[in-house]
Amino acid sequence: MSPKKITVAFVGNPNCGKTTLFNAFTGANLKVANWPGVTVERKEGYTKYEGIPLTLVDLPGTYSLTSYSMEEKVARREILEGNVDVIVNVVDASSLERNLYLTLQLLEMGKPVILALNMMDIVEERGLEIDLHRLPEMLGNIPVIPVSARRRTGLDILLHAVVHHYGEVPDEKIFLYNEEIEDKISQIQKILKKEYGEEHGILRWHAIKLLEFDQTVQEEHPVDLKHIIDRNYEIDIINGKYAYIDEIVAECLLHKEKKAAMTEKADGFLTHPVWGVPIFLGIIACVFFLTFTVGDFLKGYFEVALDVISENAEQLLNFLHASTWLTALVVDGIIAGVGGILTFLPNIFILFLALAFLEDSGYMARVAYVMDGIMGKVGLSGKAFLPMVLGFGCTVPAIMATRTLEKESDRKRTMLLTPFMSCSARLPIYVLFSQMFFPNCAMLVAYSLYVIGLLAAILIAVVISKVTKAKESGMLLIELPEYKVPNGRTIWIYVWEKVKDYLTKAGTTIFVASIVLWFLLNFNQYGMVEQVSESFGASIGHFFVPVLSLAGLGLWQIGVALLSGISAKEVVVSSFSVLFAVGNINSAAGMSQLASALGGYGFGPLNAYVLMIFCLLYTPCAATIATIRKETRSWRWTLGVVVFQLVLAWAVAVVIYQVGSLFL
Amino acid sequence: MTLHEGTVGKTYQVEKICIDLKIQRRLEAIGMVEQTKVAIVNEKRNGSMIIRLRGTRWAIGAAIASSIQVKEVAQ
Repeated sequence: MSPKKITVAFVGNPNCGKTTLFNAFTGANLKVANWPGVTVERKEGYTKYEGIPLTLVDLPGTYSLTSYSMEEKVARREILEGNVDVIVNVVDASSLERNLYLTLQLLEMGKPVILALNMMDIVEERGLEIDLHRLPEMLGNIPVIPVSARRRTGLDILLHAVVHHYGEVPDEKIFLYNEEIEDKISQIQKILKKEYGEEHGILRWHAIKLLEFDQTVQEEHPVDLKHIIDRNYEIDIINGKYAYIDEIVAECLLHKEKKAAMTEKADGFLTHPVWGVPIFLGIIACVFFLTFTVGDFLKGYFEVALDVISENAEQLLNFLHASTWLTALVVDGIIAGVGGILTFLPNIFILFLALAFLEDSGYMARVAYVMDGIMGKVGLSGKAFLPMVLGFGCTVPAIMATRTLEKESDRKRTMLLTPFMSCSARLPIYVLFSQMFFPNCAMLVAYSLYVIGLLAAILIAVVISKVTKAKESGMLLIELPEYKVPNGRTIWIYVWEKVKDYLTKAGTTIFVASIVLWFLLNFNQYGMVEQVSESFGASIGHFFVPVLSLAGLGLWQIGVALLSGISAKEVVVSSFSVLFAVGNINSAAGMSQLASALGGYGFGPLNAYVLMIFCLLYTPCAATIATIRKETRSWRWTLGVVVFQLVLAWAVAVVIYQVGSLFL
Repeated sequence: MTLHEGTVGKTYQVEKICIDLKIQRRLEAIGMVEQTKVAIVNEKRNGSMIIRLRGTRWAIGAAIASSIQVKEVAQ
């Protein structure tokens, strides 16, 4: 009888290609990169094979199924308690030795397992060979399917195996532990059988788990085994498994003496004890250089398009005899606000393209090692630096990436630091204001903000480590994957998702913010206003003037722009467009219009710099606040972070403005 | 001797691991147990190092490296 529906769980080591495979089957575009721990959440997707609907579950990678770490718990819970019909154990065929440990654990659990031997292309490239007849024999006769998720080969065969073998469990006894352990296993099995009956499956697994002192199994099977178990046999059991893996590798893997020479060579430079850090800083500087220069080069085309759209829209609305207020809303509100933001798309595109290259090449994991020394000085491991680098792209996924840190206190500290990395949403603010007020050294000014953000993060980390006496424990542990040429499809998914996010944000948050702002600026309780200064918006903005004027930001318009910027940081820029009715804020004409308008209020370069500093340091956006809340599960902590960011931004802005005023 | 005292380019065999049980479990999960052969690929001034273990490269912190008792073996 053919099944109605099959649930398939993808289980495997970190960075073995589970998500790439998942994407290939479901058409999903989940983020993939070449460093361990990219997937931090369980994800579901759907597909069909031979008319049978399949539910695919992508799980965070795990090295083991003991429940010691977060990802191990997620995977184990899914397998034991979820409605999984079959496990697809994704294995990186180019490092069989390590990957098979998890496989043996899965097989012991007696669940139906299909082995997807991924990265067969790399195996072939390196001249390795795997004996595909002997391997399944040594793994309890489960189906073993060679695939390449990247090249999309073997995918159909894998689904075929899922549909036709989903109920088949592996042989019970695949290999034997040493005599002492086997003896104890059979004694415990007898006791379990007496206590829980013949029906209770996978007795062997339960017996092994009891020998390992596994808490969950002990609680669920409270049998008295004192006369059998005199100590914890976990180490013996692990050694037993690895001994068997050695046998498998010896029999099934041929030509394994060949090494990946490229990775060795590249690591000689990139992880050099002295040059590693300068090289990393150079790479990051390069990323931003490209972001500014290539982005600006492409920007021109967007501006022309925006001008054309803006003019045509106005003409069309006039032609249709639309009322003046509607024309104003569309042209000054929506097109100015949303359109202005869209012209920054080239910069965003280049930034994410560069980050995608860094992540997919395999360099990211090295950053953790390279920065381990510096991070150690502020009481964090190098691994905590990964979320911070991701923060240059977007703070939200960066905060989620802190899950790869084991210690809760380290996670919270990293979450506190990550928002100080200038995310892509802050880029339009830097580009605009540095070009407007520092035309001769715009890029340098923008750079300085990135550096100040980094310094702020380090300084805060130092203070926290001094106060809490947090010591770096020297417990860094991260796998360094092989370097590889970034995959076109992976990069495309990565960049396209980010561009789509940006466009979506322009079409939703920024669109709504622009309309709301336009209404606030053109109405008050008596109806439409003649003068903007009589509007609701002005009243709201005036409320902030006393506080902000100390920082040289004492314009009600700035108050409004900063407040609306909490919805998303780009909104600061779109708000300026709407507030000063600038048609195309990112063009030369638009900039000079805005600069002269601001100049009329005595707003000069120093004020502009302070504004950028404030934007760098204050709360990134509503989405970040929501993510911090979700990850910490504490409103108190989240509010604390927000207040801290606001106070810090204000205090630093005031200091810079007051000190700067003395000299300028 | 400990792995921490080892030299870049040499291969060692693990004799004993004495560390916080939680970290020990993580090491076990990646195949670092007694008898395992480990090669040191790279070392930083703060003592963290890159090792090759069962065909995979790992970055490990100084505290982990100094908790692993090893003896030198031929490659």
